[in-house]
Amino acid sequence: MKSKLILIALFVPLLSFSGGQEIYSENCEKCHGFSQHGSIGLPLYRSTIANHSDGYLKKTIRHGRPGRIMPGFNLSEAQTAKLIRFLRAGVKAPIYTSEPIVGDIDSGKYTYEQYCLRCHGTELQGGEGTGKNFSWQKDREVSPPALSNSGFLAAAEDQMIKRIIMKGIKDTEMMSFEKEFNFTDKMANDLVAYIRSHQKPVSTHHISEIADEPLVFIYESGHDLATTTDRLRDSAAAYNFRVYPSRTLFEGFEEAAKEDQKQVVIRFCNFKNMKNFLKLDPRLGVILPCRATVIEGEDGKVRIYLENYMHAIERFNNEQISSEAKTLIDNMKEMVEEAVW
Amino acid sequence: MVVKVLALCGLILSSSVFAGHDQLLIERVNAKFSYSWLALDKTIKAHNYKAAYLQRCDFAMNERHYKSDKYRILFFGKYDEMKLMSKKYPEMTPFFPLKITVMEEGTHSLLIATPPIALLPLVKTNKDRMTIFRWNEDMQSILSQVKSQYK
Repeated sequence: MKSKLILIALFVPLLSFSGGQEIYSENCEKCHGFSQHGSIGLPLYRSTIANHSDGYLKKTIRHGRPGRIMPGFNLSEAQTAKLIRFLRAGVKAPIYTSEPIVGDIDSGKYTYEQYCLRCHGTELQGGEGTGKNFSWQKDREVSPPALSNSGFLAAAEDQMIKRIIMKGIKDTEMMSFEKEFNFTDKMANDLVAYIRSHQKPVSTHHISEIADEPLVFIYESGHDLATTTDRLRDSAAAYNFRVYPSRTLFEGFEEAAKEDQKQVVIRFCNFKNMKNFLKLDPRLGVILPCRATVIEGEDGKVRIYLENYMHAIERFNNEQISSEAKTLIDNMKEMVEEAVW
Repeated sequence: MVVKVLALCGLILSSSVFAGHDQLLIERVNAKFSYSWLALDKTIKAHNYKAAYLQRCDFAMNERHYKSDKYRILFFGKYDEMKLMSKKYPEMTPFFPLKITVMEEGTHSLLIATPPIALLPLVKTNKDRMTIFRWNEDMQSILSQVKSQYK
């Protein structure tokens, strides 16, 4: 009888996780890693999860972090509950009251600037780059979270923020400010009030800021194909791009002799920009290498087709790279305009 | 004709196709870069696509203190279909050939791609839409099959 009870006790937790692992595998492991140790997404250590209420985790899954990589997931209540049970792996959920913490925002701002700004940024925008990445050098092992993010503030209870400030998070760089810097209750309350003052409504639907922009920019050249190609290569070099040997559009698909010489791809790259962008988001490869296609149409006219990379970049849900990329794309457009002029 | 329209409606209504047009396709593979790369090459061929060429994006990254310089992009596609599309819709040419990025992350690899359904606004006929839906399904299937080989 005793051994049966032991067996039941051993298997009940396993049964309760069933389904959660599959949901994690399907939706989360690509960014958070097979063992929840983090990658493009932040690590989901048990010691971190132990600070979060079920409500916080539910809202985080639903809203994600707008502009900070993590998308929102449209999981059912049952799926969400299974996923949370899997992430907890038996660790008890903390319970926080929803009562707001009252504090002095100005004093909180002062405390923030003294102790938190260095990691979480002047605008509470968090650290650069993605969560934690094994392949790419980072200044920190884990990118500090964006405290002003609408998804974070919609999910986090004041009590949770206070507990993390006071106690820290084990296995991370977030230390206990109570222990290390003798934070008082008032200092923590003021700080929470300051962080909370950044709250904005979280959008339930993704609103594209570039929906009206074309997917492709098309330029008609006043020159023939060879001249346009040469001018585009020269223009790219003048804009500090390294220009690669040109290819026909379908090189590698057919014998060289049969390739359509009227469809030419000009490839170029600015290494400095690329390195900066890779630091912000290693998924950059989906838009590399930068390229423009030069085509002589059946009407004899030569046109240049340039992808509007902002559409691809918007899929990163990474506002840091979105703002930096806009300048680069404007440069590319100018570069092509000069070539066809 | 009726069958084709029904098939298109089915594809449009299928949640797996309709969802995620605004998100990247990503899969994590439990294998080092070289294994994932080989598996990707084979899986692409098994889906009757041709791998055309690769683009390395390493730039001696490991000498610049990055932890890995295994970063490649594989260009592939169905030549006849892409050729027809490029003649009909030259504005699609910046997106041809299709591509999948492979990067190493410790003992794992990440496969990342833009979903081909992002190209839907560029085509005008149901037949062409169906071709793009099929590319999208195939791309998802390729990524998930590479992943499943190293589960």
